[in-house]
Amino acid sequence: MIEPIARLRRMVLIRTVEAQLMARRDHGFQLYSTGEEAVAVGLCAALSPTDQLLSSGRAIGPALARGLDPAAVIAELLGKASGVNRGKAGRGHLAQPEAGFLGAHTVVAGNLTLAAGAALACQRAGEGAIVAVIFGDGACGAGALHETMNIAALWRLPLLLVCDNNGLSVSTPVARSMAASPLATLAAPFGMASATIDGMDVERVHTAAAGLIAGIRAGGGPAFLECRSERLTPHSSATRDTRAAPDLAAARARCPIARAAARLAGEGALDAAAFAALEQAVSAEVARGFALADAAPYPDPAEALSDVG
Amino acid sequence: MIYKLLVPGPIDDVEQVRVLEWHVAPGETCTLGQLVVELETHKALVEVRAEHPAVLRTILCDSGQWVAVGAPMALLSDGADEALPDSLDALADMPLAFEVN
Amino acid sequence: MSAEAAAGTARIFFREAIARALAEEMARDPRLLVLGQDVGAFGGSYKEFTGLHARFGDDRVRDMPVAEAGMVGVGVGAAALGHRTLVSITYMDFLMLALDPLVNYAAKARFKTGGRLRVPIVVKTTAGAKGQGVAHSQCIEAWMMGVPGLTVLAPSTPADAYGLLKAALRHDGPVVFIDHKRLFPKSGEVPLADHVLPIGAACVVRAGTDVTVTSHGYMVHIALEAAERLQAEAGISAEVIDLRSLAPLDTGTIAASVARTGAIVTLEEGQLTCGVGSEICFRLGEIMGRMPRAARVGPLAAPVSSNPVLEGECLPDAARLVAAVRKLLE
Repeated sequence: MIEPIARLRRMVLIRTVEAQLMARRDHGFQLYSTGEEAVAVGLCAALSPTDQLLSSGRAIGPALARGLDPAAVIAELLGKASGVNRGKAGRGHLAQPEAGFLGAHTVVAGNLTLAAGAALACQRAGEGAIVAVIFGDGACGAGALHETMNIAALWRLPLLLVCDNNGLSVSTPVARSMAASPLATLAAPFGMASATIDGMDVERVHTAAAGLIAGIRAGGGPAFLECRSERLTPHSSATRDTRAAPDLAAARARCPIARAAARLAGEGALDAAAFAALEQAVSAEVARGFALADAAPYPDPAEALSDVG
Repeated sequence: MIYKLLVPGPIDDVEQVRVLEWHVAPGETCTLGQLVVELETHKALVEVRAEHPAVLRTILCDSGQWVAVGAPMALLSDGADEALPDSLDALADMPLAFEVN
Repeated sequence: MSAEAAAGTARIFFREAIARALAEEMARDPRLLVLGQDVGAFGGSYKEFTGLHARFGDDRVRDMPVAEAGMVGVGVGAAALGHRTLVSITYMDFLMLALDPLVNYAAKARFKTGGRLRVPIVVKTTAGAKGQGVAHSQCIEAWMMGVPGLTVLAPSTPADAYGLLKAALRHDGPVVFIDHKRLFPKSGEVPLADHVLPIGAACVVRAGTDVTVTSHGYMVHIALEAAERLQAEAGISAEVIDLRSLAPLDTGTIAASVARTGAIVTLEEGQLTCGVGSEICFRLGEIMGRMPRAARVGPLAAPVSSNPVLEGECLPDAARLVAAVRKLLE
C-alpha cells in the first residue's frame, strides 16, 4: 500500500472506531478526534518508531495514528481489562510507551512540560529520538506552554509542539481566548522554527511535520507546528454543540478523509470502488475489535488498589 | 600577657562551627589584621583576624573539629616565652575582628 | 558526641547530608538528574547542592528558569522515560505552582497506565517559617498526604535526611522530600557507610511512659525540648516519636506507643485542620476501637507573618506543647 493510502486508511480507522463507539449506548465519556484525524495521522507518519508522542485528552486519534492495536484501544475505551492500560486509563490517559506513545494527559496544557522532560530524556539518551506533543488551541493561553517553550528553546530540546487548533475551547472561539494570531507566532520570541498550515490536509501535515522534525533531529532545537483543523463533533460526548448549522456544515465540507480520498482518486491511485473496499475492511476490523472488547471482562474490582503506590 | 582566642559571635542561627583551616602555626606571630583561622558555619565561612599582634602558642581545636560559639580555639601571648596557665578562666580575650562571608 | 565516640559516623551539617546522599546516588545512577532554581554552581539556597555541579556538570545539575510548574513537569517527563530526577522547589509554598504534574500526573501515572509507567521523581522542598512571611513559610505536607501514589518524607536530623533522601532516590514512584529552614543550621552524626532508611518507618526518639508526642521535621526538636521540660517541671515522662514518613504513615509504631502511654499529643507546624495530627488521631481511634486521650498542637489558624512578634505568636513552641500535655493529663 502506498503511503498516502496507508494514511487515508489510518484516518478512516479513527473515524470508524469513533463512529461505532458513538453509536453505542455505553460509549462512556469521550472527546472525539472526528474531523481532526489528519493532524494526528500526518504527524505520526513523520515520526520514527523510537520517538515518543504525547497527546491531550483528545487521544483516540493520536493513539490509533501512532499504531496502537485498535482492538486494545477499543477495549480501553470501554473500560475492559484487555485494554491497553487494563481498562484503567480510558480515553484520557491512554499510554503505551513501548509503542512510542508516552500517552495522553487530560489536563489542558498539562502534557506540555511533561513532553519537554521526555525530550530531555531523549536528548540525554543521545539516540536521536524526538518527542512530539499534540495540544489544542485551548492550551495556548496557559502558562505551561510558555514555560515549556522557554525551557525547550534554552536547552535546544528535541521537541515538536503540535497545536491542533480546532478553533474552539469547548464553546469559546480562539479569537476570544487568544490575543496572538496565528498561534504559531507564539513561538517566535523563543527563536523556534514554526509554521501554520491547513490541518485538514494529511499530506500537508506530513510534509510540514517531516520538515520540522528534520531540523529538530539535526540539533536545531524545538519547533512549533500549528494545524488549523475542524472538530466535527461537540467538544465531548457530554457537551452540546454551540455552532450554528451552516458553520457546522462548512466544517464538515472540509472533511480530511473525503479530501484525501478525492486527491487519490484524482491521481488515479484509489478509485471509488477501492475506497469503498477500504472502508468496508476497516469497518469489519473495527467491528471485530468491538466484539472482542464486548467479550472481555471488566477489571477485577481489586484493580482499584493495584499499581497505586 | 596571655590571651584566649574565642569563636566569635553572635552569628545568626549559629551555635557551633567547624574549624576549616589555621593560617598561623604555633610559635608564629600574628600581625595586626592577619587572618588567623577560617571557620565554617552551615552556610558561610568566617574569617577571624588578629586585632593585636601576638604569638600563637597552642591550638585547642584542629581543622575539622567542632566548637561552640564563645568557646576557646587557641592561646596567644605577647611574649614568646610567657608561661601558659593551667586554667583559661582568668585569661583576657584575644582582640579579634571577624567577617562572615 | 564526637566522631571518635561514635565509631562509623562523622558529624556534618544538615546541608552536607543532603549533598552527600545526592552525590552518592548520582555516582550510582548515571541517569540521575538534579533540576531547579540555583542548584548549579551557586549550590542551592542552603548550599545543600554544593559540589554537585562541579563534579557532575551542567548536563546533570541544571539551573532552571523560575517556573515551578515547568521544573516539576520537566522532571516528571524525564522520569517517566526512565531518567530519575530530583527537582528542587526552593520553598514549599511554591510547590503549589507545580501540583498538576506532581499530583495529576506523577502520582497517578503507574495506576492510570495499568502499570506501564513509573515516575521516579523526588521533589525536594524546604518548608517552615523563618521570618519570610505569608507566602514563604507554609507547611503543606498534609495536602500531599491525601494524594494516593505520593510518598511524603520529612527528616529531622542530618542522619535521617541522608538515609531518607537515599531511600527516596531509589524509590520507584514520586516522593516529596521536605526539609525545613530551621534544620539547616543543625549538624549531627551521620553514618560513614552507605545507609538507606526504610520508607514508612517512624522512630521513637525519646522513650517515655505517660504520653506519646508525635511530630516530624523541625518540630521534632521542639517536641524533645518540651519533653525535657515536662520531665523537669511536672515529672511527666513523654515518649517522642519522629514520624519521618508521613505517607505512608507508620501507625503501628504510634499505636504501640499510645497503647503503653494511654495518651497522644501531636505537634506540627502546618495547619491543624485536616492536618497530620487529625489524621493520626483518627486512625488511632480506628485501630484501637476507641479514641485515645488526644490533643493537637499547631500554629494559629492564621497566615504566618514576617513580623517576628506575629510569627512567634503564630507558631507552636515548647511552651504550648507543655501546656497542652499538662492539660490533657490533668
